[in-house]
Amino acid sequence: MTTAQPTLASDFWSRTRHSFLATVKRDGFGWLALVVLAMVILGPLYSVVLWAFAERWQYPSLVPTQFGLSFWEKTFSRADIAEALPFSIVLSLTVTALSALICLPASYAFARMRFRGRQVLLLSFLATNAFPRFGLYVSIAVIFFRLNLIGTVPGVILIQLVNTLLLMIWIPTSAFQGVDRSLEEAALDVGASPLRVFIQITLPMVMPALSAALLLTFVNTFYEAQGALLVGLPRVVTMPVLMYSLINSQLVVQYGAIISFVLWMPSLLLLLVAQRLLRGGYLTAGFGV
Amino acid sequence: MARLDIVQLTKQFGGVTAVDAAQFTVNDNEFMCILGPSGCGKSTLLRMVAGFEAPTSGDIRIDGETIAALPANKRPTAMVFQKYTLWPHMTVYDNIAFGLGLRRLSRSVIEQKVKEALELVSLSGYEARYPAQLSGGQQQRVALARAIVLEPKILLLDEPFSSLDAILRVRLREELKRIQRRLKITAIFVTHDQEEALSLADRIAVMSGGRIEQLDAPSTIYSTPSTLFVADFIGTMNLLQATAAGGELRVGDYRLPAPAGLKEGQVTVAIRPEDVVLGGEGTGWRGTVDQVMDLGHYRKIIAQIPGVGDVKIYLSKMPDVSEGAPITLNPQRWLVYQPDAALPLEYRRAGAVEAAV
Ligand SMILES: Nc1ncnc2c1ncn2[C@@H]1O[C@H](COP(=O)(O)OP(=O)(O)OP(=O)(O)O)[C@@H](O)[C@H]1O
Ligand SMILES: [Mg+2]
Repeated sequence: MTTAQPTLASDFWSRTRHSFLATVKRDGFGWLALVVLAMVILGPLYSVVLWAFAERWQYPSLVPTQFGLSFWEKTFSRADIAEALPFSIVLSLTVTALSALICLPASYAFARMRFRGRQVLLLSFLATNAFPRFGLYVSIAVIFFRLNLIGTVPGVILIQLVNTLLLMIWIPTSAFQGVDRSLEEAALDVGASPLRVFIQITLPMVMPALSAALLLTFVNTFYEAQGALLVGLPRVVTMPVLMYSLINSQLVVQYGAIISFVLWMPSLLLLLVAQRLLRGGYLTAGFGV
Repeated sequence: MARLDIVQLTKQFGGVTAVDAAQFTVNDNEFMCILGPSGCGKSTLLRMVAGFEAPTSGDIRIDGETIAALPANKRPTAMVFQKYTLWPHMTVYDNIAFGLGLRRLSRSVIEQKVKEALELVSLSGYEARYPAQLSGGQQQRVALARAIVLEPKILLLDEPFSSLDAILRVRLREELKRIQRRLKITAIFVTHDQEEALSLADRIAVMSGGRIEQLDAPSTIYSTPSTLFVADFIGTMNLLQATAAGGELRVGDYRLPAPAGLKEGQVTVAIRPEDVVLGGEGTGWRGTVDQVMDLGHYRKIIAQIPGVGDVKIYLSKMPDVSEGAPITLNPQRWLVYQPDAALPLEYRRAGAVEAAV
């Protein structure tokens, strides 16, 4: 008996190890990616979700000692949150729309036209992300201060626009570049006007990339706090900014967790929409996905 | 159903002259091939006709009317591209119907025409597929259907089958020829594959370095290439250095009768492999067999003739010849190319001589 047990156990472990190793060998990268993803994404997610529904959570326990929704009521009865959430959504939509309006035509030009300084200009958009963001913001804030833009909605919109440029230029530019010219020529050839070629041929083919850019821009803007903090306060308060102040001033973890939980909603929703869009038949079938 | 005139058409890209004063006419219902090595300007010429490149100078006329100023979408031409250019987000039906829809035809007419076009390229029943669900050959057939469904005056094809495998290429080539005959459509087909050109074309324009070297029926191009370039480019040709003097050609130690009116000096003698027979003990070229390649229905032999060089010959039936054995060759027909004063690097055919057997 006493000798059999270790044998069984070691047998079990060796078999487990064996099958695990076989799996890793067969699909090593996939599993590794899954484990890393789970740790990076699900770990914090798990803790935030638990905190959002926790009444009490004392130290040694792995799960909250008492679940409940009372903090939700408290959170949303706060006037500042009830105000900041819709404002943040509208603000992000506005910034995304403005960014698209400016960047999409520009990226088409970058992709399709050969003009002097094209390379330099394209790289200059990298510059906004190549230096410490906060330094850039501070110097912009100084200018905004002179222009009386501090604490105003246009000020916040402007600084958040700066933030979106890189993504909204680079992704669509490479998407437009990815559309083979001869596909457009073939459409011209059968008699389509250049505008029609753009709308019916080019645009549908870059749509997945464009929606990804729009989505990421919206989500990034929605979560953007540094610029909004610096330029917006004290009068303009977005959700992430509010979260900062809540976490800093009142050490109630539940507030932070609940707001985080709520802040995820737009990105989750948009991800679902994106998936719908990508699965919506023609794109996937068309690209043989 | 139209005639195309290319008039002194020239295209320069920066300093590069891609097409140099091309001038020719494609007749009604004619199937013309433009043949030439890579980079000789074939695509550029075709793209100017389609309207994708603006000519530097010259004119393009369809049935006598200039179209040079029209944008691509207003020209009565249709093109099939070398690359796969079906629109990936549209079904086969929508790809073919797209151009028809722009012409404001009724839905039932469009349906009928798409159906006929698909029948023509033997792809009935593929309407609902997306391009990614088709093989390369099927995609090019849909591209062909997309072009001919518009009943263009001129059909332009830029190496449409060059990315397909050899067997499929031959099949599609035959299919294309049949369709062109049936629709009586004027077509220009660009290729760098001479077999394709020789088997498809009513006439072939051989291009080199932006210029059209020769424009003739395939048999004429093969039998009497008008420049040394064409002689070298089309088929297999033995090109031998020789001297013209006293009404004779001196090829190494041997002599051949010179064509009438040949100036004295350095010339190049061109002999097709099938124009050489064995034997002719007195005047024959003596050498050794270097290589024998059995190609099934005939044999290709490379003979080494001292003082002359390597000579390729084709023989269908012959006594067994083994590598290293002595051999005597007797050329039956040859062409002579002489340096042209106006074009220093080019040799022109000065005349053909059929040897008396
Ligand atoms: N857009 C362009 N800009 C500059 N040079 C060009 C352009 N298009 C073509 N050329 C040049 O013009 C010449 C002819 O090109 P073209 O594409 O017509 O050759 P081609 O005969 O079609 O060759 P291939 O068989 O490889 O397709 C080449 O030297 C090429 O480099
Ligand atoms: Mg080409």
